[in-house]
Amino acid sequence: MESTDILVLQVNSMNMEENKENKSPAVVEVIDSGPLKISGNFLLIDLKKDISDDSGEVYLCRCGRSGNKPYCDRSHKK
Amino acid sequence: MEKDKSFSGNRKYSNNEITVYWKPSACIHASYCYRELIEVFDPSSRPWVDMNGAPTARIIETVNMCPTEALTWKWNDKEKNNAVGIDQTNHIKFRRPELIEESAQESKENPVSVKIMADGPVVIKGNFTLLYSGNEKKINESLISICRCGASDHMPFCDGKHRHIGFTG
Repeated sequence: MESTDILVLQVNSMNMEENKENKSPAVVEVIDSGPLKISGNFLLIDLKKDISDDSGEVYLCRCGRSGNKPYCDRSHKK
Repeated sequence: MEKDKSFSGNRKYSNNEITVYWKPSACIHASYCYRELIEVFDPSSRPWVDMNGAPTARIIETVNMCPTEALTWKWNDKEKNNAVGIDQTNHIKFRRPELIEESAQESKENPVSVKIMADGPVVIKGNFTLLYSGNEKKINESLISICRCGASDHMPFCDGKHRHIGFTG
């Protein structure tokens, strides 16, 4: 199989998956004294950490102390 | 006479070809400018824009990266401005208002862009609902910049403090 065929297949299956999930509109919630919750249809990109995340729900560190940035690891409670 | 606060602080910087306009009230500290071209855009210098720091083409390229209207540019030769197309600027809303509706419709179904800026804020762009301290706000085809360093004086939004505290992440 040509590599372009594989790419097309991958893109097709991604599209199908997207349709299946039918993600809800994105909501960004600033949790008081806590992380930033983002849910719904979003695509997170972190070039420095080489992360691409469209999982539908993430909690991002807002205190600057997480050991797992950009995600929250509950360090704000310590 | 007291100055109108909403307009005070706006600046312009020129070389022999273009003028760069700086509107601090519109800046969300997304930090594209100084990451891309510190030779021209250096927040620790005064004035912070040095129009002799790089060729005009590089300055234009960098100003076009600004995600807000905080940085814009114009040719000094007024005739030339008429020929500036949307492919030469990202400030569609300001140069070509007739295109807003079309682009808004197109992006309705696109995922909201969540960009983690290296050693800086998280910039969220598109159509989404923002909830904070009991407020609910609809963001339409716009963007916000949320503090990740914990030091902002304008929580939950970024105010550029990450640079002062040497935040990494």
